[in-house]
Amino acid sequence: MRIHTDPILFRQRSRMVLVLVLGVIGLLHFKLFHLQIIQGQTWSRMATNNRLRKIPVPAPRGRIFDRQGVVLADNVPAWQLLVFPDEAEELEHTIAFLTGQGIIEGGDLRQKFSERRIGTMAPLVVAENISWEHVARVRAHQSDFPELSVVNGYRRSYPQSAGTAHVVGYLRRLTEGEVERYDNSQPDQLIGATGIERLGEEFIRGKNGERRVVVSAVGRQLGMVEEEQSIPGDDLAVTIDTRIQQAAVEALGKNAGAVVVLDIHTGAVRALYSSPSFDPNLFSSPLSPKEWSKISDDPQHPLQNRCLQGTYPPGSTIKPFLALAGLQEDLVNPQWSVYCRGSVTLYGHTFRCWRRGGHGRVDMKRALEVSCDVYFYLLGQKLGIERMAPWLERFGFGRPTGLGPAHEASGLIGTPEWSRRVRGTPWYAGESVSVSIGQGPVLVTAIQMARAFALLANGGYLVQPYLIPPATPLEREFVPLDPSSLEVVIAGLKRVVVGSEGTARSLRGLSVAGKTGTAQVARLPSEGSNTERAHHLQHHAWFIGWGPVDDPEVAVAVLVEHGGGGGSVAAPAAAVVFRAALRSGPNLGEGK
Amino acid sequence: MQHRIDTILMLAVVSVLAASMVNLYGVSAAVGSGLLMRQVVWCVIGLSLLWACSFIRATYWEKAAPKIYALCLIALVAVLVFGQVRGGTRGWFVLGPISIQPSEFARLGTMLMVAAFLGKREDGQLHLGGFLVVSTIVAIPVGLILLEPDLGVALTYGPVLLIGWWLGGLRPRVWVVLGLLGVITAGVAWATVLKPYQKERVLTVLDADRDPYGAGYQVRQSRIAVGSGGLSGEGIGRGSQSVLRFLPAQHTDFAFASWAEATGFIGASALLIAFSVILLRLGVLTERTGQRFDLGFATIVFAWLAFQIIVNLGMVLGWLPTAGITLPLFSYGGSSVISTCATLGIVQSIWRHRFVNQ
Repeated sequence: MRIHTDPILFRQRSRMVLVLVLGVIGLLHFKLFHLQIIQGQTWSRMATNNRLRKIPVPAPRGRIFDRQGVVLADNVPAWQLLVFPDEAEELEHTIAFLTGQGIIEGGDLRQKFSERRIGTMAPLVVAENISWEHVARVRAHQSDFPELSVVNGYRRSYPQSAGTAHVVGYLRRLTEGEVERYDNSQPDQLIGATGIERLGEEFIRGKNGERRVVVSAVGRQLGMVEEEQSIPGDDLAVTIDTRIQQAAVEALGKNAGAVVVLDIHTGAVRALYSSPSFDPNLFSSPLSPKEWSKISDDPQHPLQNRCLQGTYPPGSTIKPFLALAGLQEDLVNPQWSVYCRGSVTLYGHTFRCWRRGGHGRVDMKRALEVSCDVYFYLLGQKLGIERMAPWLERFGFGRPTGLGPAHEASGLIGTPEWSRRVRGTPWYAGESVSVSIGQGPVLVTAIQMARAFALLANGGYLVQPYLIPPATPLEREFVPLDPSSLEVVIAGLKRVVVGSEGTARSLRGLSVAGKTGTAQVARLPSEGSNTERAHHLQHHAWFIGWGPVDDPEVAVAVLVEHGGGGGSVAAPAAAVVFRAALRSGPNLGEGK
Repeated sequence: MQHRIDTILMLAVVSVLAASMVNLYGVSAAVGSGLLMRQVVWCVIGLSLLWACSFIRATYWEKAAPKIYALCLIALVAVLVFGQVRGGTRGWFVLGPISIQPSEFARLGTMLMVAAFLGKREDGQLHLGGFLVVSTIVAIPVGLILLEPDLGVALTYGPVLLIGWWLGGLRPRVWVVLGLLGVITAGVAWATVLKPYQKERVLTVLDADRDPYGAGYQVRQSRIAVGSGGLSGEGIGRGSQSVLRFLPAQHTDFAFASWAEATGFIGASALLIAFSVILLRLGVLTERTGQRFDLGFATIVFAWLAFQIIVNLGMVLGWLPTAGITLPLFSYGGSSVISTCATLGIVQSIWRHRFVNQ
């Protein structure tokens, strides 16, 4: 039964609630009016921004060829696998499918998904560079997994791999600041990091296009509104000769070191190889931390370009230049000779010749042939550092050659002024004696050495090395030298190979002239041979020369880090390079 | 003498249901077309139930309230044992293609129970005993629902409790104490119970641009959808926010936003007016009936509907945090549509029989 009571109190309370609620609904109605009528235009624009997206269309980079048309850098199609997580019915099924097909590892993907913030519906790149087989498998199951999408693009590929890694270079991602600077660039765009990839960047980089597309909330492209086509980059033919480059790889083998081959007339770089090298293809797709640390933590520093960045004592390879300086300064004549007893005492210090028993009487040609240290100690004493340093500078030492694919070291020509400024100690007269055999405060790079020997071979022109052929021939610095002086030095350097006492007799049979060098890393102890030393204390081995002897074309510099003797280690390595360089002469390209 | 149902209320209810189906048709591109057919079925069942309930005398509902309430509690316990989990909530009985959410139905039982309890009281004030009884009637189902856990549905029991206290009558100082307790509880809950994402949702209301792609994403997309509707809308099934799926939960929590995008201020206003009419007719009923139970039940239903409408629209328009509260009769969902229809059926029964027992 119902209780009949006066509901007046009830009704009053009920009315208050009613009025309050209708008031709030009125407010909501006003808010609706405000959003739709007053701000309608603004929100409408935002809806347009939501659904229209500008998508950069990357332009393929130009390819890089060697001088005979061998591909050094190419673009290969690469497939990227995207997942639109918000379209997935059950992500675990997707993960199970992908792991089951062997396309990805489940743990990584779960990690990626969990790191993703709610509401950011952009697709996730779950695999890059997937194989054709995997693409086919994903496509076959596309209707079961609409959240998967395979998109195609290009990946930079270096067919010569480690063989041309330093000279051709590799790519890196744009930094945030650079993304702002370049037109139509995208955050994950790649740009030349080193080598020709960097030198030729302006030339081989195309112009990105742009596509305006309608996208869904999850980022699927539904239709194109307009497109500005991308312009592919230009192909580039460079001075490298792959056959010589490969010979350089073979010549150094597992040794650390550098090989530079120059055209003596033009400065065109025919080969530039630094060992150990690395696989530049690794940099074409995102590098895993493991791969990166493997390269960057390698105690041999494979990323370093030893041809340009490694500075080494020149050892005996400096001797031809000091001989020239002596002749030019009229301090000695070609007939001037000394008697080598295996050592000489100067300024109260005994300087040893590399040959303990001495060379007997040596004139300039013989001094170069047998690499007599005593001869050059005495020549150096006559010259003094104040005459040596300017001549070494004229021959291109102590400053970068300006080749440019990577940071280039200057090397060092020690002078009394340098000594005061940098070391804070005075120059010792004995140091000039050390410099005269390429030890002490004098450091050079392999490319400086190659260029300096090219100067001997081409009659005094200091060439400007280059990798990308310039439109007009580059300026060469001319160093005026007395032809007869040059002839004497060249004769000496020929005897290094062909002479009965020559230090590079292993090159006999090749039309080569040059000089060996065995550069001490640590002070020579009074006893114990080089072979017993720890590897990092062993001598650096040099051979630098040119060929053919009568009609010179190429200069070759070979450095073997801690390799031992120049004659025993560097000269045979140089022979491998010369064999290739003298075969593939300038006319070979046209013949093929 | 009228023995008919309230046709104006009925028209408003049918209009909202019709609009909900038009809206589902419009968003079918994004959410699938199967939902529309299901919603049609729910509406038919709901309207039939509404019709049937309206014939049962209000006195019967008052008498049956304890039994219905008990049945609801049993269902809430049962669902914790046998229920299926969806989105982390154990709240559904699944029978073949049909799934039933008992927490939506238990609200009707609770409203009946509170109204019946208040209807029997002669007093103008709730003393401690009455206060505790009203509180307990609401607290038991809420506790069971929080065990599922389903915070959104549990919140919709809040207005039932508040209006129970209000109608029963509490002294002003008790309201002050309850208010303070509420503030303290909220503070403690903020510090302890609320999860970081829930806090973010609240903070997003205060600063709409706080995290546009995280916690603020849904509300931002909702405001874009509503605002871009303009005066006359983008057209049914043509709103880019809905079709391209920028708008989340566009058939459930944010159904009003997709409607506003498609039909503009004209359509959204019409829907808001239809809801206002439903609320107004409930108000008219409270004016026309003389029975405490009738008046109490109508007011509780009014308060609950008003709460859901205001909270849902507040969320869609960016004034309130996203809390998972649907728009009654308009958001997709069988249990919600059917239980709401049943509740309005009892309201119609009160209307139909309002002169009979005086």
